[in-house]
Amino acid sequence: MPQQPAPLPALEAGQLHEIHAEGEDRAAALAFALAMGVFAPDGAIVALRVPGRSRLPTLFSGDGLALLGLDPARLTLVEPASEIDMLRAGLDAARCAGVAAVLIESEGRFADYDLTASRRLVLAAEASRACVILLRVDAEPRSSAARTRWTVASAPSVPLEADAPGWPAIDAELLRCRGGPAGTRWRLIWDMDHGCFRDAARFQPQWETMPGAVVPFLGLRADAADDPRRRVA
Amino acid sequence: MRRTIPDAASPDAPLALVTRTGNALRLAALDAQAQSQGLVAGMTLADARARCPTLATCAADPEADARELDRLAVAMRRFTPMVALDPPDGLILDISGCAHLFGGEKALARAARREAGYASRCGFGPNATAARALARHGGKNSDVHALPVTALDLDDRALAALRRAGLRTIGDLARRPMSMIAARFGEQTVTRLRQILGEAASPIAPRRAETPIRAHARFPEPIARTDDVMDVIEHLLTEAARQMEERRIGGRRFLVRLIRSDGARRDLAIETAQPVRDPAAVLRLLRERIDTLADPIDPGFGFDSVHLAVPWTEPLADRQRSLDGGAQEAAREGVTALIDRLGVRLGPQRIRRLQPRDRHLPEAAQRLVPAAQAAAAGWPPTDGRPPRPLLLFDPPQSVAVIAGVPDGPPQRFRWRGRLHEVVLAEGPERIAAEWWRRQGGHHAGGAGRTRDYYRIEDSDGRRYWMFRHGLFGQEADIGWYLHGLFA
Repeated sequence: MPQQPAPLPALEAGQLHEIHAEGEDRAAALAFALAMGVFAPDGAIVALRVPGRSRLPTLFSGDGLALLGLDPARLTLVEPASEIDMLRAGLDAARCAGVAAVLIESEGRFADYDLTASRRLVLAAEASRACVILLRVDAEPRSSAARTRWTVASAPSVPLEADAPGWPAIDAELLRCRGGPAGTRWRLIWDMDHGCFRDAARFQPQWETMPGAVVPFLGLRADAADDPRRRVA
Repeated sequence: MRRTIPDAASPDAPLALVTRTGNALRLAALDAQAQSQGLVAGMTLADARARCPTLATCAADPEADARELDRLAVAMRRFTPMVALDPPDGLILDISGCAHLFGGEKALARAARREAGYASRCGFGPNATAARALARHGGKNSDVHALPVTALDLDDRALAALRRAGLRTIGDLARRPMSMIAARFGEQTVTRLRQILGEAASPIAPRRAETPIRAHARFPEPIARTDDVMDVIEHLLTEAARQMEERRIGGRRFLVRLIRSDGARRDLAIETAQPVRDPAAVLRLLRERIDTLADPIDPGFGFDSVHLAVPWTEPLADRQRSLDGGAQEAAREGVTALIDRLGVRLGPQRIRRLQPRDRHLPEAAQRLVPAAQAAAAGWPPTDGRPPRPLLLFDPPQSVAVIAGVPDGPPQRFRWRGRLHEVVLAEGPERIAAEWWRRQGGHHAGGAGRTRDYYRIEDSDGRRYWMFRHGLFGQEADIGWYLHGLFA
């Protein structure tokens, strides 16, 4: 009898979480962080990164954030010139009341991030109840005071009709979890109806609608659906 | 004062400002040359053109004139603190007790006219109404009795009645008994006449300059410790906060000037995203500024005095806290303070927010604005639109692509030295170039290239947003670009 996989732990508020990913999986890792993080509603989200250090120059897309159910107006982007400035700014943001989440993106070694720095972030997060997430792209895991450590990668999606790429699908592995079992893997699939990631082992997506890029076959005008005279009994 | 407009095609052509009244274009104002050609204000443009074919015209802009008059009124404060507007095109300066500072009335008037920089007329009088009448109707004489009755600024009926009675000048009128004038020409004629003759008061309403928010402290002995200086600054901020509270304003920009005993000056400036007057908040930002200074403050033998100015203020009303103890307001203020603090430390251009723009091209549909200036704007709803990637490449990444058919989806592509096999693809979503923003964009081929966007997934399970730049059969050397990463 196959063992039922463990329930997926969320990225709790008031804690520090680390996510490791490869450069091309950055979007998947960000989506995981933003969708799985437990954020206070209406709180600000502060995203920090050092633009000069990134090999792939990217920007957040407001429409993409809105698809994940986040209001882009909540997001504040901070782009310090160096990693030490980024850590300091991230610490300030984590200490600030009214900040729901601090998302620090680093690429490469990130030598300034050590046990002391991580412990500082944990203390700040515990005091302000902010969810602090450190995204480490192309980096080796290092011992830290983080509550959980993950690796996230893109996974093949469940195709939509006509071989169209489906909704986000990612592989997440819990490398380390303080006071809990680690080493579990999950395949997560985006549930468009509820706006969250679901464990693929327990959730079978039912595609009822086609994605917007294809013109849907509508018998009636889209705005006529509510018209009682035109509704077909 | 007559306004004149620059940028006329030839500097010596007669110039007129025209305005639309009813259905006709009429002259609103003329320069001296146009007047010498026999044109008058109020004439239709067609008549004026018939008389003077070389007439250059500009549209009259009364609002810009009013703004310019305001600016002139502020500039005239150099000569006297009592400056009143006489709209639409006059200024009244009360120069009692000021003229000797500029070498007499004539010299003051010359300096003021030079300062204004426009063609102007001036008149001196013992009161504001007389001076105004002399400037507008006087010509060369300076005797109010010789002024024509039009200087009284009466309505047409009263003027016609005066003319019919044979009264041409103010002197004629002044010799008649006032009761007779009141009975025949109305009460207003008497009031104006008495004002011009100085028998009745003609007050002006001068614009007063707002006192700038300032505070300073001077010390009997120079102080050198930074902590002491910060204490003094806090004291000055409290003083400034009291001044601002009276006027219900808050400061957006604070300027601290430290003057050393050897005369060296050190300026510290901070700006905030929201108007503030809380001394503690400003002090925190100042400390942040001092910490990030490239060259630290050198007290030398100590500071003699500390000056604080708030050059940029905005209205700030007292807000009432909500009943739950103001937790939400505190959270919002906390975030604003964080943005200010990071802005002072890293530079305001490094703290940014996303704002939507009503544009078609994906990279132009949003922009990053400094968070201190970002207005709260709702994001347009995304339902019913094709999905967009979470990350956009800036700039798009060029890739080499093999497609099955020329205008079909890609089958494999090479990016950063690796070959990616496309497993799933959807599209195209065609986004045309914004031809309406381009010079000549409405001509065929002038609009720029159309993009065909595909959502693709490679064999590793990564999803990309890729576009073909150009249409087959219309453009040569069609390129493919990666424009985004989907989750």
